[in-house]
Amino acid sequence: MTTMTCRDGAEFLMDYLDGVLPADVRADVDAHLVGCPKCVAFVRSYRETPRILRESTAFEIPDGLVTSLQRFLAERRGK
Amino acid sequence: MEQDGEAQGDEALARRAGEGDESAFETLVARFHGRVYRLARRLTGSDGDAQDVMQDTFLQVYRGLGSFRGESKLSTWLFRIATNAALMHRRRRERRPAESLEEYAPRFDDEGRHQLGEAELSLPARADELLDRRRLVEHALEGIDRLPDLYRTAFVLRDLEEMPTAEVAAVLGCEPAAVRQRVHRARLLLRGYLSHLVGVEP
Repeated sequence: MTTMTCRDGAEFLMDYLDGVLPADVRADVDAHLVGCPKCVAFVRSYRETPRILRESTAFEIPDGLVTSLQRFLAERRGK
Repeated sequence: MEQDGEAQGDEALARRAGEGDESAFETLVARFHGRVYRLARRLTGSDGDAQDVMQDTFLQVYRGLGSFRGESKLSTWLFRIATNAALMHRRRRERRPAESLEEYAPRFDDEGRHQLGEAELSLPARADELLDRRRLVEHALEGIDRLPDLYRTAFVLRDLEEMPTAEVAAVLGCEPAAVRQRVHRARLLLRGYLSHLVGVEP
């Protein structure tokens, strides 16, 4: 029987998702998740957070970026 | 292995550039400028700052190539310079100290259970459906900006630029466990911040 709490589970979450937790701790997290819909919901939103941040801050590389950079560097290199 | 071949190509290029081969340096700039710009843009949050950081990075690379020993991958060395340049740039900017996101950390009751209900806990996962696009973009940038430097750099490299943890650790000069801890903390705070944006106090 596991004694893991939601707080413990949240603490281990990244290591759990990355697969780097020791097998016994991983089993405790798995057992907690089976009986805790709140933690399942929390894990879902935790996993989605990087995707939402990544997609909402996506941008295009400006046109002519390498040309202006090469010009800047040529000036500093005395060319 | 393809990646090794590419990495060797990078280091051979760096060696030639370090010996004064200008065309090798120009190839190196052409090869890496996009990734350096993207990283700088993510770390500083604006196009103008990112271009300054990119210029500063390649100038430092140009001056430092003669002493690049190839002990790390060229890309690791280059992204480390870019990350430090972005941090220096942020510190030079006149700005108010960022308001902490700590209030958005998850909350638990005395027995360690989530205080919120299942529906409320899952709501941040739908922040991109629930929020107006422009508001989400604006607040996403603000949320990332409000993270402490340590968390922001790890989160940007790992979760936004999607580098493997080991490579992020090499760029930041720390252990992979420290990277995971910083990214985890950033995710918890940003998750709570998304929760706040959709109307649920975490």
